[in-house]
Amino acid sequence: MKRRVVLVDDHDLFVAGVRSELGDAVEVVGQAGTVADAVPLIVELDPDVVLVDVHLPDGSGDAIINAVAAERPGVRFLALSVSDAAEDVIAVIRAGARGYVTKTISGAELAAAIERVATGDAVFSPRLAGFVLDAFRAGEQVGGDAELDELTPREREVLQLIARGYMYKEIAARLHLSVKTVESHVSSVLRKLQLSTRHELARWATQHRLV
Amino acid sequence: MALRSFAPSSDERVVAGVCAGIAQTLAVDPTLVRLVFALLALAGGAGILLYLALWAWAEGKRVWVAAALAFVAGCVLLGALGLSARAVVGIALIAGGLALAWRQGGSFHPDAPLSYGGIGLAALGALVLLWGGGTSSALLAPGAVAGALLLIGGPWVWRLAVERDVERTARIRSEERSDMAARVHDSVLQTLALIQKHAQEPRRVASLARRQERELRGWLYGDHPLDESASLRAALEAAAGDVEELHGVRVELASAGDCPVDASVGALVLAAREAMTNAAKFAVVEEIDVYAEVTDDDVSVFVRDRGAGFDRAAVPADRRGVVESIEGRMERAGGRATVVTSLGSGTEVELRLPRRAS
Repeated sequence: MKRRVVLVDDHDLFVAGVRSELGDAVEVVGQAGTVADAVPLIVELDPDVVLVDVHLPDGSGDAIINAVAAERPGVRFLALSVSDAAEDVIAVIRAGARGYVTKTISGAELAAAIERVATGDAVFSPRLAGFVLDAFRAGEQVGGDAELDELTPREREVLQLIARGYMYKEIAARLHLSVKTVESHVSSVLRKLQLSTRHELARWATQHRLV
Repeated sequence: MALRSFAPSSDERVVAGVCAGIAQTLAVDPTLVRLVFALLALAGGAGILLYLALWAWAEGKRVWVAAALAFVAGCVLLGALGLSARAVVGIALIAGGLALAWRQGGSFHPDAPLSYGGIGLAALGALVLLWGGGTSSALLAPGAVAGALLLIGGPWVWRLAVERDVERTARIRSEERSDMAARVHDSVLQTLALIQKHAQEPRRVASLARRQERELRGWLYGDHPLDESASLRAALEAAAGDVEELHGVRVELASAGDCPVDASVGALVLAAREAMTNAAKFAVVEEIDVYAEVTDDDVSVFVRDRGAGFDRAAVPADRRGVVESIEGRMERAGGRATVVTSLGSGTEVELRLPRRAS
């Protein structure tokens, strides 16, 4: 069955481009350009995946995620943005998005990312992997939960390979793991990213809220 | 200020539950509320009247009965405080005038119409107070008049202040807009003009668009120093931008950590640039992934493409690119370059430089 997808982006040209690039790979059931329009639409349509722009005219993507999560816990979010600012990306991920990809992603890669998010896995772009490694760098620990505030050596290795541009399949081959194991490492990093109280992450999130 | 409504408490009531209800609403001890009412009751029975007023208001929403009772209670209270009958009448008139002004949408909101009846009543009260209200009125009258004036005139003063703020915000915004317009003109519009001119050359259009994107991005989200000598990331970004522009590929740059650019890090950047150039020229790909990582021990840069790859043994000896520009350069800087490649599986160049203690 095709995944039902809602697009939330205020750039009509871009939305049209995504629709045509995705083609038949998924079923685009709706689209919205603002936070105010998106929330009731998503609650009504109950799609599998919502592609959400980080910046919208009346707020940011995390506002949608926060508003929808209580009523539709099954809806998964994938952040799609041109923004390079770490605090923006980290804020959406911490709100509950299961991944972040840049808008230059190809149609086929985007379809694969949607499928991966729909099945509950995480999708990290090289850039996001870099942010995360930066945030979890050793030696900046300020107390808190050690299990959540540190990456395991394996998780670090996987993230480094993602940052270097490797795909999950290539990472699995290189580290002699199954793709499933690679996926579970990435999901575990996502969980840490969302739950950790690590100083760097908290700082990014606060900065974002202040803006 | 909104009046908080309350419901008489039937659980803890002594008479009608008014005191207990107020105590619940304000979250204080009911005994305290009862004590206040008891003290007020001593003042000519004002407390009892006030109690009845509140009870009438809470029980059946008989607002007018409650208001009249409260009004009489206030007069009795002022009388009990030793004011002359005249002063009480004056204050009552002022209070009535203000209440009227308020009921008519009054002057409490800046945009509401003036309530002439209310103002007239309040002014009459002030006159009564000023003329022979006895000794106590000499003390009270100026204050009452000033208070009435403040309530009526205050909102207009407030509105003036707000308007001035709005005006200032608008001025700042228009300055920001013209700054933005200048930047957009200097960069984006120029690039769009160039793109129209070169519409027949896709590679040139792509690289123009890409460079513009990079520039705009740096301006919009640039929170890290863009000084190339200060930051490895900035230097790599500049190198990636050059390669994109020269060869029409996309360079996806990710990084963790950053460090200043000294002589050996500078050599690392040049080697990375060479690796990107090679990938752009020979790999036949649209995208190159570059990842830079700075740890306490070393600086690493990975340049990867999913292109054609090559057989090192088959590279002619006179082609010095990889050997000289990348490996030789890294060795002289005290680092190491590793090239992993094979035909058909792409190429990854790994550059590693130990960080000196200095």
